[in-house]
Amino acid sequence: MNSSKEIDMSNAVIKAHNISKKYDDSYALDGIDLQVMQGQIMGLIGPNGAGKSTFLQSVLGLLKTEGTLEVLGLDPRKDRHKLLKEVCSITDVAVLPKWMTVIQLLNYMDGVHPGFSIEKCIDILSRTNIKLPSKIKVLSRGMVVQLHLSIVMAIDAKVLILDEPTLGLDLVYRKDFYSQLIEDYYEGNKTILISTHQVEEIEGVLSDAVFMNQGRIVMQDSIESINRKYLELRPDQNSVDAAQSLNPMHHRTELGREVMLFEDVDKDKLMELGDVRPPVIADLFMAIMETTKVGGQS
Amino acid sequence: MIRVLKAMIVREIQEHKVAFVYAPFFVCIILCFVIASVYFGGTNIQTDQFNFSTEYYDEEIRQTMQSVSSVSRIDIVRTGLLVLGFPILLTVGFGLLAYSLSTFADERKDRSLIFWRSLPVSDLTTVLSKVFVVTLIVPLMVLPYIILLQLVAMTSASIFFATNDIVSFGWLWGSYIITDWFRIIFSLWAQALWSLPLFLWLMLAGTFAARPIAGAIVPPVILIVLEGVIFKTNLVLEFIENRIGFWSRSDSFPKEYQELRVVDITDILLLFSTQAFWVGILASVILVAGIVYFRSSNSDHAID
Repeated sequence: MNSSKEIDMSNAVIKAHNISKKYDDSYALDGIDLQVMQGQIMGLIGPNGAGKSTFLQSVLGLLKTEGTLEVLGLDPRKDRHKLLKEVCSITDVAVLPKWMTVIQLLNYMDGVHPGFSIEKCIDILSRTNIKLPSKIKVLSRGMVVQLHLSIVMAIDAKVLILDEPTLGLDLVYRKDFYSQLIEDYYEGNKTILISTHQVEEIEGVLSDAVFMNQGRIVMQDSIESINRKYLELRPDQNSVDAAQSLNPMHHRTELGREVMLFEDVDKDKLMELGDVRPPVIADLFMAIMETTKVGGQS
Repeated sequence: MIRVLKAMIVREIQEHKVAFVYAPFFVCIILCFVIASVYFGGTNIQTDQFNFSTEYYDEEIRQTMQSVSSVSRIDIVRTGLLVLGFPILLTVGFGLLAYSLSTFADERKDRSLIFWRSLPVSDLTTVLSKVFVVTLIVPLMVLPYIILLQLVAMTSASIFFATNDIVSFGWLWGSYIITDWFRIIFSLWAQALWSLPLFLWLMLAGTFAARPIAGAIVPPVILIVLEGVIFKTNLVLEFIENRIGFWSRSDSFPKEYQELRVVDITDILLLFSTQAFWVGILASVILVAGIVYFRSSNSDHAID
């Protein structure tokens, strides 16, 4: 949905260089180098323990890391509260204060956040089942996420950080969340950084993908480039050997049929051997994990 | 900045309305009811140290009341009203202690800390908003209850005195100094500043201890024991005892202040001139820095 042509590549919103974070004897982040440009919708994809949340928390200035990190030209750790006027986040679905009513929370946001529009938020909420006098503790998990997203959408921020925003929600709420995010929130100049396990649900939303494992980035590319570079072939039965001779980077069996993943191989050549399509991100991720032999589960 | 602080203070009051609004109001209403029932219902409240009834108003008392000088009358009224307000002050005092202990512990427990820290509000601003609540706002909030109680007591007693021909209706009102409301609020502000190190210590315990109550009690107890064993002194214990008590009755004040009396505004200036007051302020500054440090470290635990 976003082509990299629309992205202003001269304008890095997040610049991370050699970011590391050590807990006891293990690295949660191990030398992360990443630049996020204005307008990108970047997905951080990786198994548990990959370092996604740790990285996002460091971008929000919530934890100390080694290395150089700049967000909108500011040091997130030193200028956290200045930065958070321009960066908003949903880092966990269960953190809105349960004792508050919805309207109390909106009034509080109106008081402390210069970029928050209470009128806009009330307008967004009027399209949901969330009532302003309701206590947050009586809302369902899905409604709390909806409320959190409505608050975030009513903030005129440059960067949005979403860390597993739909974790624990049912399918309907998950679909609603992303469609609302893209249709009502996203504008070309906003940057969104999303981490999730449910890769298939954000795939159509992303402009870029970053694969992480064991605190490292194992691959980073735009979706457009991934679709150009990687192709998945389901070879005809009599073309399997011919396909193997083209050195697939990964192969698996799906319902008794060989599925091969190729990198930088001529599409026309592959089309002669069977069905060709761009790989889904989850499959590409699994393949990259296995080829880089760093292990992990998805 | 004012707008941010206002929103934060309103949030604190909304979250702790039981401690700061309902509990003192409830105590105030109970006291009003007790006063009315003593003066109009003949109820007697008598303990070893306390006697609140209408039974002892005999001819001798009547004559004494009529002949007492206006200065003594003012002192009697002031002292009576001072004692009357104690239950409300004690209720709010306990409320403040509970608030101080829970305010940072609760946000860790329900993980709303992550949400609060995702907003453009510095940890220092958050801590200062809570200090404002403890030192300025809650004393202001309690004042209307004390005034209401005083007015109910004055009216009830005046009606009783007048209808029973003890003294005229205006006897009490002539000794009621409305500007004492300012003395009360300044005295409460001074008390909050005086006890601030205790409140901040409890807040600090809420930022670092897995069990805030234990975190608040165990370290001072260890300090007190170690001090006693090593130095044979008990400065820490004295410091805590002093800060729990009324500022005007602490060791730093002349002996005449030990008696039950209504403080003057000038007494507050005397408080500001004591070393003990500034030691408390210094301790408070250090504790605020500690709270900011621990609060900012509390979200430093994400691993995924």
